[in-house]
Amino acid sequence: MQAHRQMPRLFGRGALALVIGAYTVYTLGPFLWLATMSVRNTGEISADHYAWPNPWRWEQFRVAWVDSDFATYFWNSALVVVTAVAVVTLVGAAAAHALARYRFRGNRVIYGILFSSIIFPPQITLISLYQILVDYNLYNSLLGLTLVYISLQLPLTVYLLEGFFARIPQDLFDAAKMDGYGDIEIFRRIVLPIGMPAIATTLILNFIQLWNEFLFAVVLITDPEKRTLPIGIRAFMGDHFQDIGMIAAGVMISVIPVILAYAFFSEKLIRGMTAGAVK
Amino acid sequence: MTVQMTSAEAPAARASGAPLASGFSDPRRTSVPVLLVFLLPALLVYAGLTAYPAFRTIYDSFFTIEGLERIPVGLSNYAALLQDETFWVAVRNTFIWSFVAPCLDVATGLLLALALYAGVPFARFLRIAWFTPVLLSYVVVAILWMWIYNYDWGVVNVALRAVGLDGWTRSWLGDPNFALASVIVTHAWKWAGFNMVVCLAAIHSLPSEVLEAAELDNCGWGAKLRHIIVPMLKPTLLNLYVLAFIGKMKVFDLVWIMTGGGPLWATETVSTYVYKRAFNWNTFDLGYPSAIATVWFGVVCAAVILLNKAFKSKDRLEY
Amino acid sequence: MAVVQLDKICKRYGGAGPVAVDDVDITIGDGEFMVLLGPSGCGKSTTLRMIAGLEEISSGTLSIDGRIVNHVPAKDRDIAMVFQSYALYPHMTVAENLSFGLKRRRVPAVEIERRVRDAADILGLSSLLERKPHALSGGQRQRVALGRAMVREPMVFLFDEPLSNLDAALRVNTRNELIRQHHRLASTMIYVTHDQVEAMTMGTRICVMNGGKVAQIGAPLDVYWQPADTFVARFLGAPPMNLFTLPVASDGERIGGESVGGPLSRWSEAARGPYVGREAIFGVRAEDLHLSAAAAEGDGGRIRGRVFAVEPLGAETLLAIETEGGVECTARLPRDVTARPGELVELHFAASAGYLFDKATGKAIPADAAVGGVAGRPVLGTMQ
Repeated sequence: MQAHRQMPRLFGRGALALVIGAYTVYTLGPFLWLATMSVRNTGEISADHYAWPNPWRWEQFRVAWVDSDFATYFWNSALVVVTAVAVVTLVGAAAAHALARYRFRGNRVIYGILFSSIIFPPQITLISLYQILVDYNLYNSLLGLTLVYISLQLPLTVYLLEGFFARIPQDLFDAAKMDGYGDIEIFRRIVLPIGMPAIATTLILNFIQLWNEFLFAVVLITDPEKRTLPIGIRAFMGDHFQDIGMIAAGVMISVIPVILAYAFFSEKLIRGMTAGAVK
Repeated sequence: MTVQMTSAEAPAARASGAPLASGFSDPRRTSVPVLLVFLLPALLVYAGLTAYPAFRTIYDSFFTIEGLERIPVGLSNYAALLQDETFWVAVRNTFIWSFVAPCLDVATGLLLALALYAGVPFARFLRIAWFTPVLLSYVVVAILWMWIYNYDWGVVNVALRAVGLDGWTRSWLGDPNFALASVIVTHAWKWAGFNMVVCLAAIHSLPSEVLEAAELDNCGWGAKLRHIIVPMLKPTLLNLYVLAFIGKMKVFDLVWIMTGGGPLWATETVSTYVYKRAFNWNTFDLGYPSAIATVWFGVVCAAVILLNKAFKSKDRLEY
Repeated sequence: MAVVQLDKICKRYGGAGPVAVDDVDITIGDGEFMVLLGPSGCGKSTTLRMIAGLEEISSGTLSIDGRIVNHVPAKDRDIAMVFQSYALYPHMTVAENLSFGLKRRRVPAVEIERRVRDAADILGLSSLLERKPHALSGGQRQRVALGRAMVREPMVFLFDEPLSNLDAALRVNTRNELIRQHHRLASTMIYVTHDQVEAMTMGTRICVMNGGKVAQIGAPLDVYWQPADTFVARFLGAPPMNLFTLPVASDGERIGGESVGGPLSRWSEAARGPYVGREAIFGVRAEDLHLSAAAAEGDGGRIRGRVFAVEPLGAETLLAIETEGGVECTARLPRDVTARPGELVELHFAASAGYLFDKATGKAIPADAAVGGVAGRPVLGTMQ
């Protein structure tokens, strides 16, 4: 039963409403401005940057999509990110399970090593990865990028899942052992199903971080056809530098999937992205 | 108590290698092959794509590398680093960012969370709305705010002119005095929602009876905040600070797109500088940026360890 | 005078939502130890929280010391509360926990020190003053919670199931401690619990609640010997009172039949009139059942059934039997009784030991005071 929370007195309540209103405008305003500009052409925008769209030029979206290869960028991002997220979650879950469940010498050392790499600044691996990929002919390839993405998200995945898996009661495992299940079966039949909520939130977190990843993509991909979405948008902005309406349309295209997913899965997204931060 | 072993357990016990007299196999121990199945993929990924490159970068820092040429130069890269003005400007900028911005981030997050906790209407909608920028990619955020900061028609200057404060208009990204602050504000805009959600979750997890006891102890909102809520939230707030700190030490995307490190290195960060020297410089030497990366790696690790020590609470807030 | 008065107090959630507390009328006198007793969800905690000011009162009036306090904030009601989870401030030492409320009320430092010292002495906390709650045991935390309430020197103390998180032995000790403190402080105390032993031993009066309503208020023994309805009858007493739904004989003299039945001599003609030829609920307490008719002082009733469980507890033996009609009945018998499951036994009870309840409403039909009455049976007192 929630305690009765007394609202601040009337003056406080008014000021509070004002602050909240202002902050909401501050947060959502830019996005709404973007939306209005995306359906106006540059001429109209130059005349008045803040006017309401009239007419609504939806064809800008079509032009942006067709002219600028957005489909390609989407596809590249989807391929790389989905593959990387799937692999890193599986590999990370397996490692997390072993670290959480079994006692062996070096358990905490291995966990510490994997976990501590979360703080590595990307530059420490960036330059060498660049050279390594070149050496192995994986430079400028989606496969190379996928491999790098897997390594980027591994520490976080292991950290989040190890914490969750460790909380699964040992009794379940003892019972399974007595029923004759082998270790790998136990992982498949017990840990994965029970750990699904944590795995889902880790999936979401990894997905969003990799979908928006920029630095490694910019360094490791140079072919325009292989660009991922963030690089694609950036290039698009470069190509259409003065064409604000077109840029706005392009940016909207890239943002809409995220917004749609957010509209349906806001709770899961929020929980996924803030996983591990609450102490 | 005798333990009947099923036929499945007996081979497992034998395979586990630890010959326990009673034949009982500890479910918390398993054989090395099984452990390898679980751990090997992750360890291989880590070794090949994280550990090896990191070591190689450190190794490379003692060379001058141009194309396929490798010339060992000992510590001269590091000596050059000490003299490199741009590097120190970048370090200064990054430090300002990493130490100052998290304070703002956490404070904003806490205040926003408290506003929602106070029970304003539409709290659910507001929470979802305020979280939106966190999901956007840095590219989108950068483009949006470059338009907002535009000198002629950006929101900031238009608003200033509308209220007659023409004198306050600036080229927010073009003026070396304001560029860094402008980019920091943009970065904070993106992350405020994240801190807010975490603080809100933490506040909701506070035991309501302790807050009620505080109410009975004559605590109004302000007193409850000062004496009860913030002290009990300390672990979460400190954790958010460290997370924000780490994030800002790494920042690249936003700066690169908005200002490219300019104007005149006003927004140059260590990340952008390393990138420039490795991939955008008139020389192709990869040894020097490796040295920068190595030094920065050391600095970040040291800073995080120091912060953790400083923030380690000696008392567990068990409740 | 710390009189607490609840007049038609109601708690409704969300306008027309579920009613948690329904039309509760209670008057708690100065210095009384009133126990709100009932099962989970009966509204006792909600009522307590309304008295504390932690829940809004939907309708009705609450007065403390003659002053209507419906809209007075919790901190101004001069009450102190001990929570079920103790609710100690985890980041403060014991001393700071005790003094926090006083500091917030601008009590002079000298006075704070005196009160904290006294409370610590009385409760045996003096050596723990510099510890934080996580370094204390459950019983110690409980005492700190009590101390925090005591230093406030409030008009009314409120307790929300404070003993339920303690283990059995500690519970008994702390219970006695609380009784001791009540005698020492002579303050008004309102205590919520679901444990009838606590209610019986600690309360000057008990208020039994069920489904948001007050079932009965009275002194513990009054409520025990004269329950107002079947709910109260079964809630107090372990094992619970045995209840049978039986037909009343056409002449109104007896209820039940050969295997389960008893006399209705204690009820006046007027009282039993409406039930003649119809069914009513008849109750007998477990401790009033005996194996021999002689022990039951004759002319009583009997219950015949088959034994299905024998529980020797050492000091006594519980015997559970099942009647032909399939109704279970438990008897509390002397410790030397032996019986075997499956055995057919006959339990006897005295004429004065029966209770009668209306079948439809569950309400007790009081016996006529003039008729019957056995030495040792408390005189019928007034029921509120």
